[in-house]
Amino acid sequence: MGQPLDLFAAASAEGAWSVGEVTKRARAVIEAGLPPLWVRGEITGFKAWRSGHWYFSLRDKTAQLRCVMFAKQNYMLPTPVDGMQVFVFARPSIYEEKGDFQLTVMELLSTAEGGLWKLAFEKAKAALLKDGLLDPARKRRLPAFPRRIAVVTSPDGAVLRDIQSVVGRRWPLAELIVVPAQVQGAKAEASVCSALNRISRLPVDVLIVGRGGGSVEDLWAFNSERVARAVAAMPMPVISAIGHETDVTLCDLVADFRAPTPSAAAEAATPDRAEVLAHCGVLGQRLARALRIASRHVVERLNRTGDRLTRGMDHRLERSRALLTAHSARLDALSPLRVLGRGYAVARDADGNVLKRVAQLPSGKEFQLRVSDGEVNGRVQ
Amino acid sequence: MAEFSKQLERLEAIVRKLEAEDLDLDEALRLFEEGVERLRVAREQLVQAELKVKKVLEIESPS
Repeated sequence: MGQPLDLFAAASAEGAWSVGEVTKRARAVIEAGLPPLWVRGEITGFKAWRSGHWYFSLRDKTAQLRCVMFAKQNYMLPTPVDGMQVFVFARPSIYEEKGDFQLTVMELLSTAEGGLWKLAFEKAKAALLKDGLLDPARKRRLPAFPRRIAVVTSPDGAVLRDIQSVVGRRWPLAELIVVPAQVQGAKAEASVCSALNRISRLPVDVLIVGRGGGSVEDLWAFNSERVARAVAAMPMPVISAIGHETDVTLCDLVADFRAPTPSAAAEAATPDRAEVLAHCGVLGQRLARALRIASRHVVERLNRTGDRLTRGMDHRLERSRALLTAHSARLDALSPLRVLGRGYAVARDADGNVLKRVAQLPSGKEFQLRVSDGEVNGRVQ
Repeated sequence: MAEFSKQLERLEAIVRKLEAEDLDLDEALRLFEEGVERLRVAREQLVQAELKVKKVLEIESPS
């Protein structure tokens, strides 16, 4: 590191080193003598800055070490808490501006059961549970016939391809609204939240949040409490398909439905067109049968009415017939034939005029005499 | 294009009404005709639909 300092010159006030020279020299000595190494200790005085950098100390019974872990190293990690036993892989150095001896941490592992991830996961889960966000009663039913299906996922991954292919096959009546998001890396949490926020203002019937498989770090955005709360707050049902089936994320827990794969999520979101077509066929058959039955009722009613009509007519005919008989009996009694039967006769001239008076019957007048069983001709003498 | 689920709901209601009630022939025929029309439209939607994909860019989001 540069030219060696003149130790003899430094032995007098005249040869005094500058502060910068000492820290620089000390840093060189330390960095040359202490290569990056694993250190075990307890976290204390933990502080995360807005920049994302973490500052804390590691301590044991006898000593403390100042540590810094920069955002680009820690962004995928859950936040540790004071008192936690950890291992860090770090580079010892001097922070020259402050003259502090410190460790620049490159990796941080918790010795707690399941590690830092598990711990952070359980902590966030407990918070969600406390707010009732994991209550099974909160789970909404997925729509039977969705019109708009939104997808939050990486825009160029296999996830979107799978979902698009399944929805296209099963339910192409829907519109797929893709809201791309970064699903891993430092910006994933903010990106996913922003995508969710955007969708919450769109008229969408169901939402799929998808992410292919990956390491626990890769999936971390979906274990973020912030993302989980955003998912829980969505106005429409949410299907979560994150990672492999064995990786249960917080996002999976708060979602209304958890699918093992993106394809399964797409299937859960859609009805099968072929089945719906078959159902339509059945409805068509029922429609036709129902009309047949309905018209049969009408025909039956018509028949019944016809019967009543006929019965009515018969009755009336009967009465008419009886009336006729009675009338004809009376008619019969008045008939001139009956009078003739009693021995009377009717005389008519050639024109058929009835001859009732003597004046009509001068001597020599010819007439016809009608008796009960026929006519005879006669002449007045 | 009418919403598919509404179409199907109405169709199912028509079938149930036609099956359950003793309707006069005019009413039955009217329902039948409506049912057939809705069935035709629903089938058409099912058979002819093609998936529309729309990408919403994140950049548009602040509003």
